[in-house]
Amino acid sequence: MAAIVPLRLQATSRRFGRLAVLRGIELSVEGGEIVALLGANGCGKTTLLSIAAGLLPVSDGTCTWGEPPQHGLDRDARRQLAYVAHSTQIYGRLTARENLQLVASLRGDDGEVAAVDALLVRVGLGEAATRIAGTFSRGMQQRLAIARALLGQPALVLLDEPFTALDHAGRALLGRVLLDERARGAAILLSSHDLEAVAEVADRALLLGEGRIIDDVVRARGEPGEAFAVRIRGLGGAIAPSKSTSLRDAASHGAAQTRRAADV
Amino acid sequence: MSEAVAAPRPAVRRDTTAAVVPVARQAWLLAKNDLRQELRDLELALTAAFFTLTVLMMFALAFAALPAADQTLAVPGMLWLAVAFIGALTLTRIFDREREADTLRAVLTWPVDRVAIYFGKLGVTLLVLAGCGAMLMPALALLFPAAGVFLQRPLDAAMLLVLGCVAYAAVGTLFAAGLATASGKNVLLSVILYPLTSPALIFALVATRALLEDHPQFHTYLGQLAALDVVLVVIASWLFEPVLLGSSATPPPRRPRR
Repeated sequence: MAAIVPLRLQATSRRFGRLAVLRGIELSVEGGEIVALLGANGCGKTTLLSIAAGLLPVSDGTCTWGEPPQHGLDRDARRQLAYVAHSTQIYGRLTARENLQLVASLRGDDGEVAAVDALLVRVGLGEAATRIAGTFSRGMQQRLAIARALLGQPALVLLDEPFTALDHAGRALLGRVLLDERARGAAILLSSHDLEAVAEVADRALLLGEGRIIDDVVRARGEPGEAFAVRIRGLGGAIAPSKSTSLRDAASHGAAQTRRAADV
Repeated sequence: MSEAVAAPRPAVRRDTTAAVVPVARQAWLLAKNDLRQELRDLELALTAAFFTLTVLMMFALAFAALPAADQTLAVPGMLWLAVAFIGALTLTRIFDREREADTLRAVLTWPVDRVAIYFGKLGVTLLVLAGCGAMLMPALALLFPAAGVFLQRPLDAAMLLVLGCVAYAAVGTLFAAGLATASGKNVLLSVILYPLTSPALIFALVATRALLEDHPQFHTYLGQLAALDVVLVVIASWLFEPVLLGSSATPPPRRPRR
């Protein structure tokens, strides 16, 4: 089975009719890396993740998976993919355990009830395994969606606003899970508005505005929790001088640049 | 001799078998998932069953006094009209569940053959239609003497029902899936479904009249209906992935600004 990591988007654009949602995106996500997408609502984060999940074709440019690059995800390739959408996409009439068992069975991992239960415990739903998922709070459903994504140790994990609806403990738990998956070698691409949570886990943060990547910041020494210190690219792709910055400063700076560009 | 027995099968056949088994298994798992959800609230089963009973009652009140010759003409229409409405109800409900929680898009990212999704939904739709047909046919036979042949030749009647339902559901499942991922409106399903399934329903109607009239060509009609089923299922399963993914390529729903 060919690997689906790294994920690469090259000069990728996506239009819906006359509306250009993504324009000339250049992005690469390697194994053992957590990349965060930041930006205001409607800036194209979900569209980008949908393309990376193989749910949307690109209008221009390419989206490829693995080396040598594959231009689509067949059934075997999707065994290595996990996608947590903004809506939890949970079967509300099934129990938490049944939700996970369905995916495990479809993957061909029948009989791994222990593995399913272990995942539920890992996301703090061990006690709720036999409860109907439709009775869960939004936060619990989010935990269940995350557990489902971890089935089969995927190589590429895509998460659309995964911190949504999680309480403080849930956010900390998700942070630990993401770092564990990163340590395992998974490539992780997530979108979020939660700068504090992203700052705890991400290796790189890309700020999207008007369908473009307007800022790309990485950590100084590549360690989670450290300040984001190196600005790689400013608006329009120009190389800006290295400058120590917090993620919040980077996001604010990028947003201001976008506004100025729009004014011009 | 033993060497001849032990000779390997042609590779093409092995590949085909290897490809079909996981698809059949995944289709069964997806259908079982739908049935498990249905058993939790019986929403679709009860709606379809009560609709069937209501239709039967109205048919009985409206047409019981018809002469036998007219009943022979009317009963096929009653049967397939009921199937058409129950089918639309079933397809709408099955895919509404997926739409409500956006689960179909989740399935598209899992290691599942797209065609397995088609056959899973087709199987559930057929099960509901066959269940309602199993109520309709004996009831029509009891209410209308001209339809007594449904009880006298139950095997022929059952084959006719199943083959007609397959033709209807094969087309309906294709378009219902496309609309489900496109955030389409149910009204669109009806607009598309009835014109496209009309030929299959008319064919089934003609075959039903042949059964009621004890027409010598009935089994020929049945064979032709089976051939139509094969053609429709093959074409629909072939088109399913582009219809499903093409329609899923609509913009994700906008969320309110924070």
